[in-house]
Amino acid sequence: MAADQLAQVEISVEVNGTVVERVVEPRTLLVDFLREDLGLTGTKQSCLLEVCGVCTVLVDGRPVSSCTSLAVDADGHKVTTVEGLSDGKTMHPLQESFVDNHALQCGFCTPGFLMMSKALLDESPDVDREEIVEYLDGNICRCTGYQPIVQAVEQVAAQMRQEREVAR
Amino acid sequence: MLPPFRLARPRTLDEALDAIGDDRVPYCGGTELLLAMRAGLTRPEALVDLKSLPELQGIAVDGGHVVVGGTERHMDIAAHSVIRKHLPMLARVEHGVGNARVRAQGSIAGNLCFAEPKSDVGPALMAFGASVTLASPTGRREVTVEELIQGPYFADKEPDELLVDVRVPIPSTATRGAYLKYQITERPTVGVAVVHDPEAGTCRLVVGAVGEVPTVWTGTSPDEIDPDAIAEEVDPTPDLTGTERYKRHITGVYVRRVLEQLADVKAGK
Repeated sequence: MAADQLAQVEISVEVNGTVVERVVEPRTLLVDFLREDLGLTGTKQSCLLEVCGVCTVLVDGRPVSSCTSLAVDADGHKVTTVEGLSDGKTMHPLQESFVDNHALQCGFCTPGFLMMSKALLDESPDVDREEIVEYLDGNICRCTGYQPIVQAVEQVAAQMRQEREVAR
Repeated sequence: MLPPFRLARPRTLDEALDAIGDDRVPYCGGTELLLAMRAGLTRPEALVDLKSLPELQGIAVDGGHVVVGGTERHMDIAAHSVIRKHLPMLARVEHGVGNARVRAQGSIAGNLCFAEPKSDVGPALMAFGASVTLASPTGRREVTVEELIQGPYFADKEPDELLVDVRVPIPSTATRGAYLKYQITERPTVGVAVVHDPEAGTCRLVVGAVGEVPTVWTGTSPDEIDPDAIAEEVDPTPDLTGTERYKRHITGVYVRRVLEQLADVKAGK
């Protein structure tokens, strides 16, 4: 039996902890779904080629270019955007560290860098500077020269290491 | 905004084979297809999402081969224990594909079926002598990766065929492999893969990215490889990553360097 060919798809996506159900066209990009349908404009879009990284969101914890991903692909999955990093009162350690290290100027690339950094630290908390640089080399920043960004992530990684040692 | 299309979400390989066709194309990570659609290079009537097909998932040893399901993502292949044990060079290559998002989204079958000339994965698999299984409603066939990659963005795969899995012969424990690329943009300027199995007496070196298709050199030992001769043999495509003369030069340099690197690689790595 052939699978149905759908022109409209019902999707159920958990976005920053809240389940949202919508009917979308298959061509709806994840970034447009987040920005236009849900009003989560923290996620930016720029190159539309998976090169610049500003549209990075996490799907089940993995970094994804939401400009080159369909909303239907997120059906049944958990999406975390930059809005999901903080509870609205306390900043995420990465956000704190970006501020402390002056890791942003215009801020347009920042949501992408934050989400990539979160994916990296969640996956491998013991990263060194070289691994951070390697992981973030798919994100473009035209203001900072990258050093403060790498430093900010390094600092959070070090904090996490310290906290783990204290806990031991 | 992408042009409109329909979506099919088959649950089994048979359903998927029924769903694909001329304008109804296989879809997995979208890292190539969605870009091509946005650029207006292709306008399919329907995308057939393969992400729920168990037959296209998994990485396992089957007899003398490592079998990688077509929809396995670069990131998962790079981290998988079977790949790290039997094909460590492939694990290193997969870890360096594109960027972390491309690795999280892009599949091995998508990479091969798009036959992107600046692929890292194709040359590495060719150096291992890998092949792929293509399924159609009328049966299956196995072709080598070398045969599959016919031209730039042109794989020898019919519209009614699906790439089910990639099969890599497990090399002897004496085998050493290396891959070295030069890359200043999101895709490599040149990538050279080499696999030497002294027990079997085989050595394969593959130069990717400089031309329309990878160039394969086969012999018995790396000592027989003449970097200058390979630089002469490749057929470079002049583009933003370099002129023909430059690409020949950098091919020679990277063949020489990958062989130096290979000499330092431990057996089985």
